[in-house]
Amino acid sequence: MNPSPVFSEKIQRTITCIGAAVLVASVTLYLAFPVVALFFRTTPELFFSSLSNPDVISALFLSLFTSTISLGVVILVGTPFAYVHCRNDYPGKVIVDTLIDLPLVLPPAVAGLALLVLWGRMGILGQYLSLFGISIAFTTLAVIMAQIFVASPFYLRQAKSLFEQLDPVYEQTARTLGASPLRIFALITLPLTANGLVSGAVMTFGRALGEFGATPMFAGNLPGVTQTMPLAVYVGMEGNFTVGLTISILLVIISFAIMIAVRLLARREASNA
Amino acid sequence: MKRPLKNQNIIIGIVCGLLMLTALFAGCTSSPATQPVTPAVSTTAAPATPAPTPLPTPQAVSTTKAPVVIATTSTPAPVYTYSEGNVVAFTAASLKGVSPKLAADFAKMYPGHKVVFNLDGTQALRTQVMNGAYADVFISASNAYTTELTNGGYFVDGTVKPLTSNYVIVILPAKNPANIQSLADLAKPGVKIALGDKSVPVGTATIAAIGNLAKSTYGQNWNTSVMKNIVTYETSEPGVATKVALGEVDAGFVYESTYTASPKGTYTAITIPKVDNYLQTYTIGVMKQSTSKSAASNFENFMLSTIGQQDLKDYGFRPVS
Amino acid sequence: MLDAIIHKKLRDFSLDITIHAGPGEIVVLMGENGAGKSTVLNSISGLVPPDTGSIQLNGSVLFDPGMGVNVPVENRRIGYVFQNSVVFPHFSVRDNIAFGLLAQHKSPVFIKEHVEHWMSATGIEDLADVRAGNLSGGQKQRVALARALATEPALLMLDEPFTALDADNIRLVKELTRTFVTEMQIPCLVVTHRITDSRDIGDRVDVICRGKKEWEGRPDDVPVCACRSEDR
Repeated sequence: MNPSPVFSEKIQRTITCIGAAVLVASVTLYLAFPVVALFFRTTPELFFSSLSNPDVISALFLSLFTSTISLGVVILVGTPFAYVHCRNDYPGKVIVDTLIDLPLVLPPAVAGLALLVLWGRMGILGQYLSLFGISIAFTTLAVIMAQIFVASPFYLRQAKSLFEQLDPVYEQTARTLGASPLRIFALITLPLTANGLVSGAVMTFGRALGEFGATPMFAGNLPGVTQTMPLAVYVGMEGNFTVGLTISILLVIISFAIMIAVRLLARREASNA
Repeated sequence: MKRPLKNQNIIIGIVCGLLMLTALFAGCTSSPATQPVTPAVSTTAAPATPAPTPLPTPQAVSTTKAPVVIATTSTPAPVYTYSEGNVVAFTAASLKGVSPKLAADFAKMYPGHKVVFNLDGTQALRTQVMNGAYADVFISASNAYTTELTNGGYFVDGTVKPLTSNYVIVILPAKNPANIQSLADLAKPGVKIALGDKSVPVGTATIAAIGNLAKSTYGQNWNTSVMKNIVTYETSEPGVATKVALGEVDAGFVYESTYTASPKGTYTAITIPKVDNYLQTYTIGVMKQSTSKSAASNFENFMLSTIGQQDLKDYGFRPVS
Repeated sequence: MLDAIIHKKLRDFSLDITIHAGPGEIVVLMGENGAGKSTVLNSISGLVPPDTGSIQLNGSVLFDPGMGVNVPVENRRIGYVFQNSVVFPHFSVRDNIAFGLLAQHKSPVFIKEHVEHWMSATGIEDLADVRAGNLSGGQKQRVALARALATEPALLMLDEPFTALDADNIRLVKELTRTFVTEMQIPCLVVTHRITDSRDIGDRVDVICRGKKEWEGRPDDVPVCACRSEDR
């Protein structure tokens, strides 16, 4: 047989392999290098010593605290909401569907301004609240509300998708066995979607933690009260650079942990299905 | 033919961990940087103060009309393309209101020339420049940052000159919801005050003014109460003004120029006595990196000229003594 | 005793059918895929209400739009084993079988007794604490059967119960079904598309073609080409 077609095929395959490798490498490096650069920019001594900086500590605790609360609210309210939304056809369902996605496409600063215009003490609703002495803007509550607003779509979309894709036969079987909707939701639907819901929760936590845009507009910037980690990074970069860098690295570590957690959970769910 | 997923994820985790650890401790071997002068990270997107206008690329020079471009942004500095007669001026944000007038008058004084303002907090502009952003002229609202840039060799020798000055003033929403009649009232419990962050020039100026007022007139208790009433440290001076204009805070410390330039009826103001006030001196300088130094010098001359100074005065700035 | 008259417009044709089954009687619903057999079961269970018709079970009306009656699925006391047996994979066998009894708020003692009874009746006692998702097809089928019968339904319905099973399990499920239905004296509907199944288990066969009952009679007499009607 003619040897050259086989030979050129080999060359082709090698070139394709190299091309693929270059592609993978460049994408990986493009994403990884900026993050790695953060670590190269400091030294372990500087990093660990600035961990005791009060601004760093207060930002860390504030961020973890508010993100956890935000996540809790989103799960507690969002899970039954997503379930009811999926299992029923009600007038305006399409609009609600769209609204769930809205915070994803809205620029965070716009979201912050909107929240301020609504809930601020001059706000459309807020003005009535201030009659009772309740003021929301510039409080930690405002941080939580901003985080909930921007992060909830991550969980709601995931929950919606899970509930919609859950084979209806499980819930139908439960119904024929006489179970009430509440029993079905708690004992059948939730356990069977739990893994996916946890993934959604983890992503939501990450988004709430990294929220920066709505928060300064609505909650302002006050260390210990409303200065979350992302905000501290921004302020730090203009002022105390080491602090900004340290908080950035902390955020990277937490984000990595979140991502790995999500992957492991997704794999577990896939193997259980 | 899938690889076992278990191994894949463990490998990812290990690689990421090793990557981070080696990078962190690789810093050990390199010369330890204390406060690096040139940060590796540039400014990330910040909360936008009322809708920043998008920045079009500077057009070719026309001799008739002077197209004016104004941008208030805290995003990484857009790259300006060089073109003869074009001046890129990195300018402290407090000149936002007067900048259209300055641009128009500059084009009148030097036909064929055009200025493009990049308006932002001085601290943000300093960071941008130090990360390689291109500027012909730098107008700084803070002596500290001016010194920092001078020491870094960013200016052409002899071109750094005092430009104008600004006092700090207290503004209140027009309706004055907390019924603040004097500086003493700022210490009333429950009053909400907005300030610039200490990294922003107006922030340091305000803190200084408050300190002076406490020492001379109102006492330490007043100082403590006022600081307790601060609900937010804004990352830009216009940010303070916005919070006041929206009525979400009861008082804010801004530059006099901001108040003077604002439409009538937006704010009520309480002046701070000159003797206690902090006079912020602005400087202007030509950048060494500028590739149109003659145009840049022309712009500096214009800003220091009677016309430029009058424009600034009209917008509430004070002449340098 | 089950009496069901069902009219329902489906995508390609209309389902117009009358189903009758007496106590202890196993009626096999046969027909090709898409003939509407599963829809019949879904209608009777209440999951997919018919457009019009009437469904009566042991004298009480489950569905009758004329009278404004539509008893919810949860209250119909119908044991329904879906295709592919649908055990709750995250529960143990024991918890699966107990599920309906718990939903009926029976006492723990009652539940324990009944669950053990049904586990031994279907021969799965040694699987009691095994996670149901890990069972084989035949084992799952027995769990589903036990679970449905544990609630002492007034009617038992099986949808294609033999498709995923091997011969031994098929035989076993058929025996169990026959035994329980006779003991409990409840009517039973079995949907299948295989003639051999209908002969083994059915007391009567209804052949359904495109939503209509084309033939009914004894299993031995089922014509081989029962759905030989011209396409309309």
